[in-house]
Amino acid sequence: MKMFGILTLCMLVGAAGYGQALDLKHLDRLADKASEKVDVTLDGSLLKIAAKFLSADDPDEAKVKKLVSELKGIYVKTFEFEKEGEYTESDISSIRKQLESGWSRIVSVQSKKDGENAEIYLKTGSADGGLAILCAGAKQLTVVNIVGKIDLDQLSELGGNMGVPKIEMEKPKPPKKDD
Amino acid sequence: MSYLEEDLKRTLRRIEPSAGFAERVLERANAPAPPEPSWWESLGVLLRPPCVQWVALSLVISFMIPAAGVYRKERQTRAEGERAKQQLMFAVRVAGNKVHRVQQRVLEMGRMDTRI
Repeated sequence: MKMFGILTLCMLVGAAGYGQALDLKHLDRLADKASEKVDVTLDGSLLKIAAKFLSADDPDEAKVKKLVSELKGIYVKTFEFEKEGEYTESDISSIRKQLESGWSRIVSVQSKKDGENAEIYLKTGSADGGLAILCAGAKQLTVVNIVGKIDLDQLSELGGNMGVPKIEMEKPKPPKKDD
Repeated sequence: MSYLEEDLKRTLRRIEPSAGFAERVLERANAPAPPEPSWWESLGVLLRPPCVQWVALSLVISFMIPAAGVYRKERQTRAEGERAKQQLMFAVRVAGNKVHRVQQRVLEMGRMDTRI
């Protein structure tokens, strides 16, 4: 009886841990239509293994090691299509629906210029933290789900450093005082 | 009488033992049993050729098989770890890139607003 109780507790804890990640399985159907696709699934155990292999001597790897120390999972799905309209609004809306409770949309950028919409959500419902990024362009769709506490500035810094050159924005100059 | 019978008779004829044979047999039978060899003396047998070659071979094999298993497991773990690391670096790069681009756009918009 005691064993059954422990087993049930373990299953509940496991389910709770699993439940923190977004369900992105419905996007798998887009894989056949995509000209290029990336699917990264790193759960807690794989993250720990990966972190062990990150070198403390390499500055980028050292930053990533620090960044992922409190993470429990990273899930990335990216699809690039030859033509427009390969994915539907329902593909994104089903993700947005999962982000309705316990998540806060901190920024949403819609660009008419390149037709890309980007949304960033932060998990607010629990102390564990989490991040979700939805980027939908005419010919590409990217969904990122990070489970665990993450520093957005550090993440952004890594995004600016690794591969993409960091562009320092010109700060608006204060208006000159006319005498 | 045939030659065969003669041969048999000659071969199976009674031969008297040498003098003192019975005494010698009785002496040996009554003698105390030799002491049993100790364990190191028994092991010593293994170190005499040709046993020593087989013992050496067995020892080498018994060390090599587990060592090969450990080495293979180590290589497998390392390969998995390296793959996980590459995936992690890629995932962080994609996520960071997206956040960075959004931040840049927000900053750009802020700059445009300021200009207006």
